[in-house]
Amino acid sequence: MKIPKLSRIILYVLLGLFAVLSLLPLWSCVVTALKTSKEVILTTPVTPPLRPTLAPLMESLDYLKRPLINSLVLVGSGIMVSCFFGSILGYVFSKRRFRGSTILLVLVVLCLYIPPQVQLIPMVQTMSKVGLHGNLGALVLLYMIFGTPMCAFIFKTLYDEIPDSFINAAKVDGAGTWTIYRRIMLPLSVIPFVVAALLQVTVIWNDYIWGLVLTVGKANLPVTVAMANLKGSFVAEWNLQMAGALWVALPTLIIFIFLGKYVMRGYAGV
Amino acid sequence: MDPKKKEKIITALITLPAFVSIFFFFYCFSGWNFFISLTDWEGFVPSYNLVGFKNYVALFHDPLFWISFKNNLLLILLFVPGVILVGLILAILLDQKVRGEGVFRTIYLLPFALSFVVTAALWAWMYSPRVGTLNVLLERLGLGFLKSEWITDPNIVMYCIIVALIWQFAGYSGIIFLAGIRSIPGSHIAAAKVDGASPFAIYRRIVLPQLKPSFTTAFIIFMCFALKAFDFIWVLNRGGPGYSAHILGVSMYKETFGLDKFAYGAAYSMIILLLSLVVVVPFLSRVYRRE
Repeated sequence: MKIPKLSRIILYVLLGLFAVLSLLPLWSCVVTALKTSKEVILTTPVTPPLRPTLAPLMESLDYLKRPLINSLVLVGSGIMVSCFFGSILGYVFSKRRFRGSTILLVLVVLCLYIPPQVQLIPMVQTMSKVGLHGNLGALVLLYMIFGTPMCAFIFKTLYDEIPDSFINAAKVDGAGTWTIYRRIMLPLSVIPFVVAALLQVTVIWNDYIWGLVLTVGKANLPVTVAMANLKGSFVAEWNLQMAGALWVALPTLIIFIFLGKYVMRGYAGV
Repeated sequence: MDPKKKEKIITALITLPAFVSIFFFFYCFSGWNFFISLTDWEGFVPSYNLVGFKNYVALFHDPLFWISFKNNLLLILLFVPGVILVGLILAILLDQKVRGEGVFRTIYLLPFALSFVVTAALWAWMYSPRVGTLNVLLERLGLGFLKSEWITDPNIVMYCIIVALIWQFAGYSGIIFLAGIRSIPGSHIAAAKVDGASPFAIYRRIVLPQLKPSFTTAFIIFMCFALKAFDFIWVLNRGGPGYSAHILGVSMYKETFGLDKFAYGAAYSMIILLLSLVVVVPFLSRVYRRE
């Protein structure tokens, strides 16, 4: 919609204002992470550093190194299984309906809204029973399964956009469920896999509560839990805290800046 | 074998691992959690007795539960409408054929990319009373009288948290509404323009009424988030000072893993589940009844 000139100026002022509000905490984080403790006190939290230093970034990286690797492991293992499961379920829900499949779909979608608090205690109990409590392995197992409902929903939504006529021809030729999935659906699944995987990367990378209750000891912590500990241990050292926050934020920021369009397709309608 | 039957078996076989694990981890666990809430289980002691609804009765007599409930209600009443309103404003602004729309959209979405652990650290710095961003900026701008103790003041800590959460989710909310606005057929708006409707009237009479699905989606998503919220508040200040920022999720965590009252914590979480279901089930049943 076109509106007159003065209102165009007001429009851009408002857009700019919201952009500043959106970026202010991040800007304050970046400039503080590049300052020495002395400069943090001497300058305002929004002035760029006079003499930028990488010391806080290095020190916090040292603290977060192992947890960063742990989170990479979690992300890598988590997305593979949940995307694979999700794509099969999405395919069946979209193209291979059977009696009762709608009920099952609703039950899968409902999982997206079940608060994690309900599963905390049984999960801790189960992981203790199988000897994984405190271990990174507990989280590996958990993220493999917990992303499946969301992936199934994403694949179902995106597979719905593929016309049924694509697979009807193959059906006439006598191709079975599995053949159609492998020969027709999978080759058309690049975008769905990218969307689902990127979304899982951000969800798993950013998750906190499961790492908090299931892992013990620095060697096992995901990066969010380690970052929360860093925040608790270096209360007055803001440059160190901001540098740590920056390390945790970096991967998802990069994903949203360059591939945000794909991630948001996954969030659409969830 | 009958080929149709064979296909059915294959479908069942390839979906079974996923269905079984989902059923186990989501539904069996929820059921098991309900069972635990009916016992007197404390800590990792393996023995426990069934006590019926005793934990729930105790819950309703627990001042901490009511503090958490009230704080949670405040969060819902301010955060949900707040984030919807800001999102709607962003969407309408972005819909004006803006130059660099993609850049603005990305900027507004950046907070949503971050973990609550990160945003809690960022806002702890924003709100830090002595050297933090807000107080220093206010003083520099000659608004020193607005300086405040922010998250260390029990009277306003909840509002500080709500503002920070609106900041984090506003871009996401904006995307939901922008998608809704863009899905309205252009012919409706064009017709109104021909009739001489002002931009304001077009939004009020044509766009807003057709955004109902976006409102519903946003409402469900943010309600459910507000009910299960935990990470941000816990990392920010452990629900403090005192109990001033305890919401259901925070109290549930403290009772369970701080005090080892597992059965009691399970009862807490069942209340959170129940409230979430009240929000979600009517929505899902309406969406999927058609199919």
